[in-house]
Order: sequence, then structure tokens, then C-alpha cells
Amino acid sequence: MKRKGLRFYLHIYRKILAQDIKSKMSYRADFIISTIGMIFTNISGFVGFWILFRNFPSINGWSYHEMLFLYGFSLVSITPVQCLFDNNWSLRQQVYSGDFIKYCFRPINLFFYYQSEVFDIKGLGQLAFGIGTIAYSWSRIGLAFTPLMLLKLIVFLITASLIMIALQNAAAATCFWIQNSFYVLDLAFRFKDYAKYPVTIFSTVFRFIFTFIVPIAFIAYYPSLVILRPDEIPLLSWLSPFIGIAFFFVSYKIWMRGATRYSGTGS
Amino acid sequence: MAGIIEIKNVTKEFRVLNRREGLKGSLKDLFSRNYKTVRAVDNVSMSIQQGEIVGYLGPNGAGKSTTIKMMTGVLEPTSGEILVNGCVPYKNRTKNAENIGVVFGQRSQLWWALPLIESFRLLKDIYQISDSGYDEMMKLYGSLVDIEPLLHKPVRQMSLGQRTLSDILAAFLHDPKIVFLDEPTIGLDVSMKAKIRTLIHALNKEKKTTVILTTHDMGDVDALCRRIVIIDHGKMLYDNDIEHLKSFFGSYRTLKVRVDGDLAAQTQQIQGQYPDFSVTCDEQEEWISVLVDEDRQKVLDVLSQLQKTHRIKDMQLEEISTEEVIKKIYEEGVR
Ligand SMILES: Nc1ncnc2c1ncn2[C@@H]1O[C@H](COP(=O)(O)OP(=O)(O)OP(=O)(O)O)[C@@H](O)[C@H]1O
Ligand SMILES: [Mg+2]
Repeated sequence: MKRKGLRFYLHIYRKILAQDIKSKMSYRADFIISTIGMIFTNISGFVGFWILFRNFPSINGWSYHEMLFLYGFSLVSITPVQCLFDNNWSLRQQVYSGDFIKYCFRPINLFFYYQSEVFDIKGLGQLAFGIGTIAYSWSRIGLAFTPLMLLKLIVFLITASLIMIALQNAAAATCFWIQNSFYVLDLAFRFKDYAKYPVTIFSTVFRFIFTFIVPIAFIAYYPSLVILRPDEIPLLSWLSPFIGIAFFFVSYKIWMRGATRYSGTGS
Repeated sequence: MAGIIEIKNVTKEFRVLNRREGLKGSLKDLFSRNYKTVRAVDNVSMSIQQGEIVGYLGPNGAGKSTTIKMMTGVLEPTSGEILVNGCVPYKNRTKNAENIGVVFGQRSQLWWALPLIESFRLLKDIYQISDSGYDEMMKLYGSLVDIEPLLHKPVRQMSLGQRTLSDILAAFLHDPKIVFLDEPTIGLDVSMKAKIRTLIHALNKEKKTTVILTTHDMGDVDALCRRIVIIDHGKMLYDNDIEHLKSFFGSYRTLKVRVDGDLAAQTQQIQGQYPDFSVTCDEQEEWISVLVDEDRQKVLDVLSQLQKTHRIKDMQLEEISTEEVIKKIYEEGVR
């Protein structure tokens, strides 16, 4: 196996993942409680959504089921960042305490090694919930179910996930430069709550912010236009896969740059 | 012959924010930042040969860990040159990592939730250790330490000593050319210290691994190192055999006595009698030690004087210990 090849990393990741799940399962009470907690979080999120929108037949030309589609879309696209990149949340603590240095001694990619350490299995429930929501709204809207549509859905879900991951990486990496970076990360994560609404319901200022500054409109809105509004797809929607990849790459570079200039703490 | 580690005129400076006091100070800090430079390592040079065990010593804050971080490629030197295994560590961090093992005492690098054996298997894949190499190493470990009870224990359930032992085993697993051990015996009990010293010694003999060891425990030095390098305030003070260093202090001998009466009070009294010599006491074994410089006064004179003022129950005469040599150097420097 060639070192640093994709296969090498997949192999390592699979192994760490299997071990991690095994050890998590062994703490059964912990596992059950957090699963229940996750189910309730999802239900309450959904109920909130339902209360807010059931009274309006449509908002700015978006029907209830279209809104629901967007909601499901954002749930699914947030899953990868929650499952695979959850260790970003401890980055600040590890950098601050100096424990981060332990990741610097292995002959593999630092970013990969750091992120591979934690897999948050709870995110999988959210994935199921999101897929269910998409499937339900899909049939209620009466969208066709063709291989092409499915391909579009998958491509744009991946796009959306990449943007979410990029946002979180960049926010987490701020801890390499500033002390109170928790607020940055927290803020970035809160922004995702706005991702599930069509960006057209916001004022022009926020529309601009959510498109060009904190690009959360790319998490659900622009990608889902391709599926929901096939007649009036803006250029930004077609561009979003490239924007997703570009953002991810930039965030990775920022993260790595922070990590390599990390000077640690004394002793 | 070029050594496996070559360090030439290496300096490392940190820029730290000079914080001003009080609320007003904090506000000022926001607008005009006042940095000061800390020189942690100052023009250090050394050359280390394959297979050596080098004791890298110095008081707290001397710059030992900083030097090690530069040799492992985590930190970039401010100036100077470092070659480890022929490559520049900071520029080739991952490549360098293949050939080294690192242990920072009290900071485990193992997967917290996994049993040790699973960590080892992951390391086997990460370092691409061959099956035969892995098996051979495990067999060697089995013969050196009682590894079986550790293997199936998750790292987080281990005691500090067990964890340190595991970390050291993990650092040697891929048969690296060099292993850096930064205070590996910190916080360990006497028997675990002895175990770890034996292990390091055996692995160095067996695998010809170069070992760079920092420690504040001179027991480690006595057990493992022939060569020591001492730095203080980032500057190199000494680099040579330990015996050579002791010969500087050839005229020093330690007189140890056991006397009647309260240990602390007697120690103080004797110190009062000999203000020029360092007098210490060992509370466990109730020895009072007087470090006598025979150029000034013969040890036997001191003994006979003490006999007049104290009831001496027992006595011993020793050459100067490593501990005392190092202490003198930290306090007075090399003459
Ligand atoms: N990341 C850092 N930022 C600022 N200053 C640092 C940093 N790391 C170390 N220093 C400073 O550099 C000097 C040397 O520190 P270092 O950790 O190398 O000492 P040491 O010899 O390992 O000491 P000890 O025996 O206490 O571990 C100290 O004055 C320390 O405060
Ligand atoms: Mg140190």
C-alpha cells in the first residue's frame, strides 16, 4: 500500500472507526441516553418548524412542502460535519492546553489524523431523519424520481456538506491565532440554523451576507433550487459544487497553516 | 563522521505579548501591542552519533523541551541549522516522523479509548511496520516487561506509570532510529522508574536506537547516560562524558553522618559550623550529608570536629554524586 495514497487513509480511517464504535458501544447506558437525546433534539426541531410554517400556505412563493424539503436537505448536509469533524470542537481546548502537540509526531496528514480521532455516531440518527424528510416532501411536491434527479440530489448534498465542513474548519482554526475562538465556532454553528430557510425571505443585507460572507445560503438554498426550481436556476446554483470544493480547500489550508505555525505552550 | 543529529548554532525565540496590568492596561493592549522576545534556545550546537544515549539536562525553563520540539519538526528554529537523519525536520515533518519516536511525560499520545493492543495495531498500519518486524518487537517487549496485563486495558483506565510505560513501548514500536524522551520518569514510583530505565537501556542495546533523554532525576542519568549535555537559559554549558565532569569536582567528597537528636535542627547546626559547605539531610534514611571540598579542609578533620560536638552513631564517605555535580553546575556554572 502506498503511503499517503487514498487507500492508505481509508484503511486507517476504517480501522479507527471500527475501534471507536466498539468502545463506545461498551458504554451502553451512555450510548442509549445520547441516542434518546438525539431523537428528542430532532423531534423538537421539527415541531418548531411545523408550528412556524403550518399556518402559512406559502412564504415568498415557497410552499410548505418545499420548505420541508429545504429543512430535510439542511439536516442531511449537516450530518457529515457532525459525524466526521466533531473533533474541531475540542481543538481550542487542545491548542490552549498544549495537548495538540501530540498530533504532530505521526508520519501522516495532520488534519486527517486529528479529525479521525473522533467519530460522532449520534449524527447518523439525524441523517435518517433528514432522508425521511426529503423523501416525504419529495413525494408530496410530486417531483419525478429519475436517476438524473437522484444524481443531482447527491451531488448537491455533497456540495452543501463541503460548505458546512469548510465553515466549521475555518471557524475552528481561528483558535490558532486568537484566544477566545469559542465564540467564532459557536457563531458559525449557529448560522447553520438559517441555512434551512430560503435566502429570499431575508432582507437584502442578510441575503448578501449569507451568500458572499458567511456562505450558508449554499448549504441548502442554492443547491436545492436545482431540484425545486429547475426552470429558474441561478448561476450561483450551478457554481455551488465548485464553490464547495474551493471553500473546503481554502479552509483546509487555513487549518493546516494554523497547525504548522503552532508553537505550543511552555514545557 | 556526521552524526545522526547535527545541530549548528540553533537559536529559538518566542514572541510573547507583554500584558499591561489592570483594565486600562488591557484596553491599551488592544490598540498597541507590546511584544517582548524570549530567547528559549541560544546558539546551541551539538552532534549526536547513532546509538548514543544522551542526557539533555538543565534547570526548569532552560530550553530542553524547546530544543526537542525543534528536532522533531514541530517548531522552526529562528536561526541555525538542524539535520536529523540528513533532513531538515521542520520542512519534512512527516518524513522525519517515520524515523523518530517521541514521548512527552504526562502527555499520552495513544488513543485514549482504545486498549493498548489496538493502539499498537493502528501504529503498525500508520508506520507500515512489517508483520515480522511487529512480531519480533512484541516478542522483545514480552521478554523485557510484563506486557500482557496492559495489552487489553484501555489507555484511559491506566495509571500514570502504566501509561508512560505504554507510551515508551509505542514510541519504539516502529524501530525508529531516534527516540526523544522528555521527562519520561516524571511522577513515577521507584520501582516503575527502575523498570523504565531497564527497558530503555535494553532497547538501546538491542536496536541501537539513539536516545535523547531529558530528566530532572539524576538516577536516570546514572542508569542510562554516559554523555550529558547541559543547558541553562538556552545556552549550552557542558557537553561531554559525565565522568569528565565529575573529575572537575575531584576534590569534593560527601561525608554522611547519623547523629542523635532532631534531624532538621542538627542539620542546621552543622551548616552553621561549616557555612562554606553544602549540608543537606535525607529524611527517609536520616543521613546528614556534608559536601566537603578537600582543598579547603580534609574530610577526616571535619569528622573529628563533628565527633566533639555531636554523638555520631554511624558514618559513610562517598565520592561526589551526579546529583551534587549537576546541582553545583546549575548554581555556579562550569568553571
Ligand atoms: N510556546 C511558547 N511561547 C512562549 N514562550 C515559551 C513557549 N514555549 C516555551 N517558552 C519559554 O521558553 C523557555 C524554555 O522553555 P522549555 O519548555 O524549553 O524549558 P525546559 O528546559 O523544557 O524546562 P522544564 O524542565 O521546566 O520542562 C521558557 O522560558 C519558556 O517560558
Ligand atoms: Mg520541558
